[in-house]
Amino acid sequence: MNEKDFSQKLRPWLDRSADGVGEIQATRLRAARLRALDQWREPVRLLGLVTVGEGTAQTLKYSILQQGLMWLPIVILLATLAAKALSPEVDVGELDAMLLTGELPIDAFLDKDFDQWLKSASGSF
Amino acid sequence: MERRAFKQCVFSVQDEQAALDIVQDAMLKLAENYAARPAQELPLLFQRILQNGIRDHFRRGKVRSAWTTLWSSLGLTGEDDEADPLETFEVEDESSLPASPADRLEQSQVMAIIEEAVQSLPERQRQAFLLRYWEDFDVSETAKAMGCSEGSVKTHCSRAVHALAKILRSRGVTL
Repeated sequence: MNEKDFSQKLRPWLDRSADGVGEIQATRLRAARLRALDQWREPVRLLGLVTVGEGTAQTLKYSILQQGLMWLPIVILLATLAAKALSPEVDVGELDAMLLTGELPIDAFLDKDFDQWLKSASGSF
Repeated sequence: MERRAFKQCVFSVQDEQAALDIVQDAMLKLAENYAARPAQELPLLFQRILQNGIRDHFRRGKVRSAWTTLWSSLGLTGEDDEADPLETFEVEDESSLPASPADRLEQSQVMAIIEEAVQSLPERQRQAFLLRYWEDFDVSETAKAMGCSEGSVKTHCSRAVHALAKILRSRGVTL
């Protein structure tokens, strides 16, 4: 009898031996299997860019694009700050304050129509 | 699948509780770390995790036995008086048993001899034999699972088969 034939004949006995595992052990093994299946997470690719749930074994395989995406929010923030720093200063709040508390602009007094409107308007109050 | 893995562990570690722990850990590790792998790679990965678990068990055992020796020499042995007898009580599944009591007895005796023979094999031979002929791995897969060369797998398998045949013949078992 050669190696393979012998093993083929021994195999059903080994299968029967596995089937004969005690009820308590079998129940615990089934429970462990279910627990493992609960942990089973198929990896999901969001928009084809970010991979979620590939497990710790895959962390080293992150693509350059995925690593780049991690830095994207910081790059956007820095770009916004730089753009603001370089743009000419137009403070709308300060202008509003000047209009509310300051005198009317000189152009308003030079405008005759405005002066007339002011007199007629003050007569109506 | 888990029953075969459990029996493999029992053959190796000869302790059902430890075998249960090793199989549970292996299943969890497979689920947590390798869910992304293709399905055909999973049996091999599972076997590698399982074999590592068995190796770790033996490593821990060496450390534990060193400490146990130390404690026992100091007279500080801990005894487990609260073992639940129900934990060791097993109910036999009668559906797979032979019809007559005589056949049943004979089968259980042959089974015991075979299990004993497999258990008596050297670790690497048993590992190679079970992976190759029980788990149906080819030589290359077995080599990967065991972390050795294909030549070693062939040698281990051949020696295991010859040793088993010799033991069974000497015990009067014909397959």
